Amino acid sequence: MKTAKTSYMFDMLLFELRDIVGKDYVSVRDSDREVYSVDYFWLPEMCHDRQGRSNITRPMADFIVHPADAEEVSKILRIANNYKIPVTAWGGGSGSQGGALPVFGGIILDTKRMDTIYKIDELSMTVEVGTGIIHEILEGELKQRGFSTMHDPGSARCATVGGFIAHRGTGVLSTKYGKIEDMIVNMEVVLPTGDIIHTLTVPKTACGPDLNQIFIGAEGTMGIVTKITLTIHRLPEKREFRAFIFKDLETGLRVGQRLVSENLQPAVIRLYSENETKEVIKKVLGIEKTGAYMVYGFDGNSEMVDLQLKYAYAIAMSEEGEDLGAELGAQWWENRYKFFFPPYMYRLPQLFGTLDTVASYSNIQNVYNAMKDVVEKQYPMARFIGHFSHWFPWGAMLYGRFIIDNPPEDPHEAIYLHNSIWNDALRAAMAAGGVLNEHHGIGLKLSRLTPELYGNAFQLLRNIKTTLDPNSIMNPGKLGFGV
Amino acid sequence: MKITEKELNTIHACRYCPMCRHACPSEFINYKESDTPRGRAMLLYSVYKGGKPFEESTIDAIYNCFLCGACKSWCEGQEIGGYDIPELIKFARRDIVEQGLAPQSVANIRNALLAYDNTFGIDKSLSYTASIQEKQANILYLLGEGVNYKHPEIARAFTQVLDSCGEEYTLLKDEPTSGKELDLLGYREEAKDKAGRLLKRIRATGCMTVVVSDPLLYDALRNDYPAWGTSFEGEVLHVSEYLLRLLQSGALRLKPNPGKVTLADSEFLGRLNKIYEAPREVIASVPGVEVVEMQWHHEYMQSAGEAAFTFDDRVFDRGKDLGEKISIKAEEAQADMIVVLSATAKQHISATTTLNVLDIAEFAYQNIDKKG
Repeated sequence: MKTAKTSYMFDMLLFELRDIVGKDYVSVRDSDREVYSVDYFWLPEMCHDRQGRSNITRPMADFIVHPADAEEVSKILRIANNYKIPVTAWGGGSGSQGGALPVFGGIILDTKRMDTIYKIDELSMTVEVGTGIIHEILEGELKQRGFSTMHDPGSARCATVGGFIAHRGTGVLSTKYGKIEDMIVNMEVVLPTGDIIHTLTVPKTACGPDLNQIFIGAEGTMGIVTKITLTIHRLPEKREFRAFIFKDLETGLRVGQRLVSENLQPAVIRLYSENETKEVIKKVLGIEKTGAYMVYGFDGNSEMVDLQLKYAYAIAMSEEGEDLGAELGAQWWENRYKFFFPPYMYRLPQLFGTLDTVASYSNIQNVYNAMKDVVEKQYPMARFIGHFSHWFPWGAMLYGRFIIDNPPEDPHEAIYLHNSIWNDALRAAMAAGGVLNEHHGIGLKLSRLTPELYGNAFQLLRNIKTTLDPNSIMNPGKLGFGV
Repeated sequence: MKITEKELNTIHACRYCPMCRHACPSEFINYKESDTPRGRAMLLYSVYKGGKPFEESTIDAIYNCFLCGACKSWCEGQEIGGYDIPELIKFARRDIVEQGLAPQSVANIRNALLAYDNTFGIDKSLSYTASIQEKQANILYLLGEGVNYKHPEIARAFTQVLDSCGEEYTLLKDEPTSGKELDLLGYREEAKDKAGRLLKRIRATGCMTVVVSDPLLYDALRNDYPAWGTSFEGEVLHVSEYLLRLLQSGALRLKPNPGKVTLADSEFLGRLNKIYEAPREVIASVPGVEVVEMQWHHEYMQSAGEAAFTFDDRVFDRGKDLGEKISIKAEEAQADMIVVLSATAKQHISATTTLNVLDIAEFAYQNIDKKG
């Protein structure tokens, strides 16, 4: 149901929502509607940027609601079902895929009031927390007690824990500690119909399918995760890094694969392509070298870290790496967030996108080459850079990026160009063995390509969605699902 | 008002950057995106580049900012400029005022400042300085409105310390406002007028050393007045700096008083004037005292709401929300006492804890070694 603000039905709905969460926690004010219409996706930013000099507008929510707990979320979803109103969950609004945008209006359900730390279990090494907590705040509380989730993404200061779950987020220490989905013990979820459920107390059971997996990465289309138990770790006694330059990307990829397959358990491996070394590493770290920059790091017991570093060094030198030393490795770690801050990040008026994908070691170089070829050959106004951030036993993640410094001024032309690059680059990646995304999610940005990625299996996803959300109220327009 | 290049640069840097949101105290009052640095920069972009008029909810978002500077402290781009959201907000407030759009609650505070020289609208005859006699001295002690009207015990403590050290000092009878509060609300020209009046009174005393309790007043004398071309020629010290000077000269001695004491840093003394160590050194001068730090301290302090005078009990009742966060952290640090640097911090924090909360002047007075 779409309700005009001048209609008495608008007042009736507003009253019902205020009755649940209190008057202070529902907003229909213009300033809030405006701010919640832009997340970290280039598209709404561009449209906001060009207001006043183009006719393009942004979809806005009708109601912004701030529930305190699962009970209030449940009541909101029951109302939304009664009136068939879209509900889009919003955490920190730092997603780059448009996953939190209220593209069909309705309710924005801001989760940030659900920010309680319920329990830190120092024996089981877990923390139970509301999903609306800003991750940096959670980490601060854990650090005081000598712990960390070891989830350390660039968005730590602005994203909520729920946001990470929604799009399968990852952090710079993922090679050792895993992505967010590897850290989840159990969760409380409000289903689209308003029912509140809890998944099994522990995840490694032989009691049928793991229900957590229905909601992890579902971007709020299957329900709202309101509470989560995550694993935690003791802060390491030692964490040390070392940086190298390798003659080319191929050599660097071989070194990364060896660090993993020879079971050295690095916490961090980050390898930059030759052109990203030239463009970004020079700009942010001031290192001017030709070749592919790599930094790796180990953490844990001091003696073990020393041994790991010794063996890793031997691998790097056997591949003729130029050793830049521990200091330049530590410099990368200290500046790891800087890449995402102005003026270092890419920003308007540039047109840009992060084509992150993941593939097996057998395919990852081909995926990189395929994406790079498409961007550079079909779109000569664009440049392509990439680095490899997250390494698994079977493959690695590519953080490819395209940048156009002078995109079309007309927003409609700019959107067409943006989408064309995404379609062509990701189809090339999929043909070479890659997927649509590794840790930023699908959102609005890649929704149209999701059925193509899944093939026949997409019907299964759709069936699950229809069963859980018969009125299709949950985050419509995302993850390949329509209205 | 025509937007300046500096403010526009801040808007462009911050409008889509959420990286300091975790530190913004105003966001965690109502949890609204419009109450974040990013949200405010986006709204101001719409005004200054999108051609939108200031509408009511945007104006509210601009006045909901505590001007504490946490966003600037956490901005990673500090070597580039540490994008200055508080300055942007102050610019926007001046524009709102110039356009005649200030909310009634803000206009009421301005009217109180003009009529009574304080934001509370309390008659001057009820202030601490109403009953004092000015005298010839080398040192002038300025209280600021929070001490003068709400927490005179802080002034009593500091003057007793000065007396016990044999210092010759004076106060200003009916101490006038510095204009700082007017400027923070967007009334710069009226603020400058008040600044001129205060300076005239200061100069008339002949004192070349001014010691100040209130961080807002201190910041006005140290930074605003010079920027407005009306500098005070003498030295300006915060009470904590002067106490340290007395300790170092041997004029002030403190007796043993074992316990754990934590300091609630001041936004305006710390972030804007880098006064972090003087109060810690004063506290540590008490034999037996262990200075314990809260989780967030120095430039990463939690805001006590020193510029939240628009948020006090009369208007939005938000100061205590900020004070409570500091109280929790002080208790986590297992402190026995919280030392504060402003009357506002004392008011906001003491309302939310059973711990003893003392201004630095009260702390020094409580621990004076009278035998020395």
